[in-house]
Amino acid sequence: MRKNVGDAGLFRTEARKSDNFRERKHSMAGAGDRGLTSEVRGPIIRSSSSKSTRTPAADLERKDAVMLAQILAIIIFLGMFLLIILDKFERHVVTLTSGALVLFLVFGLCMNDGQAIINTMNLREMFSAGFWYGGGGSGTTGVNWSTILFVAGMMVMVEGLGEAGFFRWLCLSLAKAVRYHVVPLLICFMCMSAVLSMFIDSITVVLFLATVTAELARTLQFNPAPMIISEIFCANLGGAATMCGDPPNIIIGTALGYTFSDFIANTGLIVAVCLVLTVLYFWLCFRRQLLRQEAARAGDIVCPQPASAITNGWAFAGATVVFAIAVVLLVTHAKTTLSVACIGMIVAALTLLNALLTKGAANVRTILRDVDYKTLLFFIGLFISVAGLEQTGVLKLIAQWISSVSGGSLIIIVVIILWLSAVASAFIDNIPFAATMVPVIRSISAAQGVDLSVLAWALSLGTDLGGNGTPIGASANVVGTSVSAKQGHPIRWGEYCKYCVPATVLVVAVSMVCLFIRYL
Amino acid sequence: MSPVRDFFSPVCYPINSGGLDRKGSGEMKDQIIVTIGREHGSGGHYIAAILARRLGIQLYDREILEGVIESSGYSRELVDQMDEKPVNLLFSRRIGEFSNSLEANVAEKTFELIRRKAERGESFVVVGRCAEQVLRGNPNTVRLFIYGDKAFKIRRLMETDGLSEADAAAAMKQTDRERRAYHNYYCDDKWGDCRGYDIAVNSGLVGVEESAEALLRYIRAFQEQRPPQNEPC
Repeated sequence: MRKNVGDAGLFRTEARKSDNFRERKHSMAGAGDRGLTSEVRGPIIRSSSSKSTRTPAADLERKDAVMLAQILAIIIFLGMFLLIILDKFERHVVTLTSGALVLFLVFGLCMNDGQAIINTMNLREMFSAGFWYGGGGSGTTGVNWSTILFVAGMMVMVEGLGEAGFFRWLCLSLAKAVRYHVVPLLICFMCMSAVLSMFIDSITVVLFLATVTAELARTLQFNPAPMIISEIFCANLGGAATMCGDPPNIIIGTALGYTFSDFIANTGLIVAVCLVLTVLYFWLCFRRQLLRQEAARAGDIVCPQPASAITNGWAFAGATVVFAIAVVLLVTHAKTTLSVACIGMIVAALTLLNALLTKGAANVRTILRDVDYKTLLFFIGLFISVAGLEQTGVLKLIAQWISSVSGGSLIIIVVIILWLSAVASAFIDNIPFAATMVPVIRSISAAQGVDLSVLAWALSLGTDLGGNGTPIGASANVVGTSVSAKQGHPIRWGEYCKYCVPATVLVVAVSMVCLFIRYL
Repeated sequence: MSPVRDFFSPVCYPINSGGLDRKGSGEMKDQIIVTIGREHGSGGHYIAAILARRLGIQLYDREILEGVIESSGYSRELVDQMDEKPVNLLFSRRIGEFSNSLEANVAEKTFELIRRKAERGESFVVVGRCAEQVLRGNPNTVRLFIYGDKAFKIRRLMETDGLSEADAAAAMKQTDRERRAYHNYYCDDKWGDCRGYDIAVNSGLVGVEESAEALLRYIRAFQEQRPPQNEPC
């Protein structure tokens, strides 16, 4: 019988290893089941023998070992978070070092459990057919290879799109479509930011949009900072709508077995409501300022033409087709049962093939060289570090705390998860936060018997929307404000928060109301 | 190497590539750049001014800010406020080459300007602003660090800035803390660590003017005996 981590006497013995392994196999096989709970995914530190055979001294020793493992896992995780915040070392170096410490100190020295290391690395997962085809999420603890392969694949595709001039062409085409009028441009770019971020990571969307906005601002003689702030906000908002829009959603989706359609039908609808309000909010905030600047414009304007963005027509067409294929595969992956990891690899292969055929092998090398491998390594280290907390039972303790504070009320649990995620994500990286919270909501769902999906949507909306609150809340915010600053329009904390804090509170509150109306 | 430090990579001059003084420009051939790191109160700025005057080259201390304002489009108020100020680690984040920190953005504009001036073959004395790291690998650069005894620096600050002893000590401590944090955020070498400089001088030992004279002789000797190539960075 699996024991709660709080139980005494938790280390396994050789006699129990086979039982535990069977449980873990069960856990992996049933990963796609929504109802699968911590009963089969609990901490590896568990009862090593029946209570009747334990001696008090052995119990005490095991308790000490468990506590030491938990304390070490917490210290390593907090140290990792602190170093990420302090930004003294690169993020992937921090998480990989932290992951290595978890493997050696927590799993190796404290738990003396080689199986925990193997389970955490999770390499076996990739060699199962279900990983690529047949539905179901990652489910197991440890490194979520589905997330990593999907992110890697999308990175390759985005590099291909960028190389082909797709984003710049799209931005300039829209600007031309609204005849370079600034207020319609604001609305168009906000909508485009949200829509693109549903399929492409928001950092890329903001990078290209903010750059083109700054370029157009020089020509059209307006201050691009308000427009860039709006684009950042909408990018994070759009990212919350789909499974592939924002890294926390990819982690939540792959870990809990939700599909692209699940996200669209749940967070997507709520985001649609929020987007309407957001566009209205920023229009009210910035329209006068932009109209004044447009009226004050002097002289004729010569804007860059959309066609100037395309250097190779065939490469552009190919990249656009690959993007369309990616969208179709993602939208239909619940029906085709192709996993997101599989989709990621397919679009990466198609992108490289397109580059090879249209621009040659040198372009393939360029695309592969420009992929952000550091982010992939960051994810690997992060998943191992979170596994340290999960397998020592720390996350279960957090889940128990949330459950006890809420008194078992689903409404209070949703409120806590939504607002805790939103506030935390406004100040700290929402990727590690989401990775940490996924096992927590799984435990809460199991312990309280509440619908896991409601908690998942609350977590997704909280982490994605909360990141809008400050200039450091999400990676897209950092990139957008930095692009603005590099173009001579620095955005101070005060200016950013003046517009984005009320908007963030608004969209999180609206999300909460929508969750209540629809699910509670 | 952190992405922050990657910023400096373009200023490296590969060995045998010709460096700045081998690009066919007669101006570059005689280029001399003096970078001066300094402790607050040690007379670093004063020494820099003497060296610039005696060498007949431009001095850039706060003077560099005019160029930063012009090239970046930032307001004077912002540049003044953020110049040589350390990044607030709690309120800033960096994603690759992108940072939301205004301190970092002003610093990077400053570094770009210093690098461009060096690449154009201009000779100058530049005070602080991580110049010894920005121009690392430039074969025409002499990197100095001026420090001093605490009592000497406090006495000098009392004389030059009209501060009380307590205020001078506090100002010295605060400014040096900021300079150290600013420098160490962007640079591999630690602020004031002699291994990051060509020569470090205690200006309190022989006085600011004598120190400047000694450093001038050192720079002249470097000009006469400058090696054909520097080590690659």
